[in-house]
Amino acid sequence: MGLRELFGSRGSRKGRAKAKADDLFDEEFQRKLDYLAMVSRRVFSGTMRAERRTKKTGAGVEFADHREYAAGDDFRYLDWHAYGRLDRLLLRLFEEEEDLSIYFIVDCSASMGFDDGRKLAYAKRLCAALAYVGLANLDRVSIVTAHSELAARMEPTRNKRRIFRIFEFLRGVEADGETDIEAVMRSFVARHKRRGLAVVISDLYDPAGYERGVNVLRYNKFEPFVLHVTDPRDAEPNARGDIMLYDCETGEEREVTVTRTVLARYAEAYERYLKSVERFCTRRQLSYFRADVDQPFEELILRVFRRGGFLR
Amino acid sequence: MQLAGYSAAVLLRAGGLLAAFVVVMYILRLRRRPVSVPFAPLWRRVLRDKESTSLIARLKRWLSLLLQLAIVTALLFALGDPRADVRHEAARHIVVLVDASGSMKAVDVPKGPAAERATKTRLGAAKLQLGRWVGGLGGDDRMLIAQVDAAITPLSTMTEEKVELDEAIERLQASDVRADFDRAFAFALDALRGRTRPEVVVLSDGAIGRVAVDAARLAAVKLSYAKVGSRGRNVAVTSLSVRRYPLDKSRYEVLVEVSNTHDRDEVVKLELYGDGQLTDIVNLRIRAGENLSRFYPNLSGAARMLEARVRLRSGEADDLPSDDRAYALLPERRRARVQLVSRGNMYLDAALLLDEYLEVSKVRPDEYPLQGSFDVTIFDSVDLPRTSETGHVLYLNPPSGEHAPFEVGKTIKSDRRYTIGFDEVKTKHPIVRHLMLADVNVAKARALKGNKRSRAIGKSFRGTLLLAGRDAGRKYVALGFDVRDSDLPLRIAWPLFIVNVIDDFLDEDTRYVSSLRTGEVWKLPVAGKGALATLELPSGAEKVLPVDQGRAVYLGQTAGVYGLSMGAGEPIQRFAANMASPEESAILPVDSLELGGKVAAAVEGFGGSSKRRWWFLALLAVLGVVALEWLSYHRRVTV
Repeated sequence: MGLRELFGSRGSRKGRAKAKADDLFDEEFQRKLDYLAMVSRRVFSGTMRAERRTKKTGAGVEFADHREYAAGDDFRYLDWHAYGRLDRLLLRLFEEEEDLSIYFIVDCSASMGFDDGRKLAYAKRLCAALAYVGLANLDRVSIVTAHSELAARMEPTRNKRRIFRIFEFLRGVEADGETDIEAVMRSFVARHKRRGLAVVISDLYDPAGYERGVNVLRYNKFEPFVLHVTDPRDAEPNARGDIMLYDCETGEEREVTVTRTVLARYAEAYERYLKSVERFCTRRQLSYFRADVDQPFEELILRVFRRGGFLR
Repeated sequence: MQLAGYSAAVLLRAGGLLAAFVVVMYILRLRRRPVSVPFAPLWRRVLRDKESTSLIARLKRWLSLLLQLAIVTALLFALGDPRADVRHEAARHIVVLVDASGSMKAVDVPKGPAAERATKTRLGAAKLQLGRWVGGLGGDDRMLIAQVDAAITPLSTMTEEKVELDEAIERLQASDVRADFDRAFAFALDALRGRTRPEVVVLSDGAIGRVAVDAARLAAVKLSYAKVGSRGRNVAVTSLSVRRYPLDKSRYEVLVEVSNTHDRDEVVKLELYGDGQLTDIVNLRIRAGENLSRFYPNLSGAARMLEARVRLRSGEADDLPSDDRAYALLPERRRARVQLVSRGNMYLDAALLLDEYLEVSKVRPDEYPLQGSFDVTIFDSVDLPRTSETGHVLYLNPPSGEHAPFEVGKTIKSDRRYTIGFDEVKTKHPIVRHLMLADVNVAKARALKGNKRSRAIGKSFRGTLLLAGRDAGRKYVALGFDVRDSDLPLRIAWPLFIVNVIDDFLDEDTRYVSSLRTGEVWKLPVAGKGALATLELPSGAEKVLPVDQGRAVYLGQTAGVYGLSMGAGEPIQRFAANMASPEESAILPVDSLELGGKVAAAVEGFGGSSKRRWWFLALLAVLGVVALEWLSYHRRVTV
């Protein structure tokens, strides 16, 4: 059942009116969401179910691992076969099945709105698309926006019918403020006790560094999923001669004479920065995708599906 | 090394100003274009190495400043026109005498560049030439520009400042006078006294006449001459005068003189206008160099102004239009009131009838005086006191001098040996002008004896017969015999005598000058009291003149009709002025000039003008480039 069919006449009338008013989530975009949802089921059919198993051990039925027995453990889970062979008391662990919570943490700092807000618009589309796929897989989807602190939050929801609420929420997001990923993540983990997949959609332009913020998620048992939104124009600034550079977030000023050499070195530095982000995530086995705003977002979504990690 | 161009002082001043300007421009804080970036820390990393080179970047700007200062210095140095192989010469001091006489209004400058043709007049061409000389003035050379017309007028100081000299050139103006080069050379030699390399440059058409100059002083000065003008085809009205007939003042006669100063015969059309209406027109053939007079007798009709115009019959214009016209004003006519106190004198009555502008009131002696005021009173054989209304007085045969300002002597009579008559006559006195009194016979008369304020006009050997004088601000004339005791009434001299006396009393005598000559100091009688008079020029402009002893003094330099009054609301007295100078109308330019035995050389030494002009353009170009560089690089307008 498609998105338009799903919501019938109500969705078609209001949805069309809103789509006309907002190019970001127009009818073309909604058709693509239908397509992505269908493709996601076909690609992961057989292995994908409407449920997701967490690594949490406990009351599940599928064996997960052994560990040494400790005083107070339930005797019922002792592996007597192992005791017979190895003469050691080992406790059998099972995976516990529960609904997956997907949190989208959308960076809405001023840098995301830089240059006509291309990155923020792209981030919104990514978020909406992935949220729709998540809703279609009966996952619990929640969205928060953040800059130097949490800006807005959409309560966890499930069911595809809620996608328009997500649209509404994302439409209201505007770029403003400085970036402080660590503070945001600390605030986020404090407020969300239910662990799950934390999809960070950001350009990661944090003067204090993005690493600590991502680690906060890791240390608090969230699964960080980094969608790094990049704009090729950031690598090729339109600056020549003696200029006054100022940071669009902090307002920090810097007088500089920009020559070709300087521009080349900047481009190198920018590339190094992107690689460092990717290296950071890879080394920590975090899911990382570079989302280039010039790339069609559906291609990126399909790449995400093929790599796995987002849906299981 | 010497500077042949601008002097070191000028260059230093200009250099100081330009250097200050350039430095101030560089002191101004660099205006940087603000550029927003999404993530400044990335730039910080890039610029960490760049910081170390910022000092070099700043030095680059200093180098740019030094480069510009060097450019300015080099250009100024070039403007000085440095010459290593030029022998040092002292500065020239040049007095340029610019002829601003009437002939410089000639419009014969057809040759030469377009700019010269556009100026039309010789003076315009002279100004252009002078402008080129000023532009080519050497570095330390100084020049004084003086305008020579009826007076010598220095228009600038002895200066090297081209702005002042250019302003002086702008003020040059030709007038309708002869140029007084006697005073001009005296002035120039005085101005050059004690100066290095003195030089007098005469910029003229050469029609300067004979000049009295101190040859010894002139020998120590370089004399140069630049000719202006090319042709001399000119016909002119060189004289115009008019007078009323003494016995019929409604009629007048006119004398016009037309000159052809060209070297070939011309056929001209001479027109005479009275109060703007054409009165007479005649074609005349004038030979080369001829002055042709034409007399117009017995004219009437015009009330006030006469104008004579001459033009070539072919319709072409001659080279000097300003002398093709001349103006003259007829004397004003007014009706004079005459009081005749007489017991009856037919001869006197008849003489007074001749002038229709006389309003004669007869009165017997016992009814004297009549009511009202009179211009003239005639006491015929009576001795009565004058009153404030009597006016001027003519005494005929005064019986005694009791009430007269003179003494009346004993009666003298003719006899066989001697007939009383006018043995001695002051013929230049206006009351006896045109009169033949020498053969008048008088039977008996009374000898008159005047005082210090009187003058004997006619005398016999036995005493004064005709006396004229002034008493209590009034004129008087006394004739010492009864005309009936003489043959005077039988002569034409009798009515003329009466008319002359009344005209003299009323200042309407035949000495009236119908037009003045320009280039002379006019002493214009004014009616009324006051220290200042207002002169209305032919152009319509007004000038305030000082009045000295009842006369306003003015150096007239423009031909035309003037008006003189003692202020607003006061009657305006009109008079005309003409150049009337055959010498000034002879406008054929002279190729060479010789003064005091010295032949003027050609003008030279102003050749640097074109070179310096190129340097000036180069300076402008460089300044433009520097300004563009500053705007583009330093102010980041284009980057």
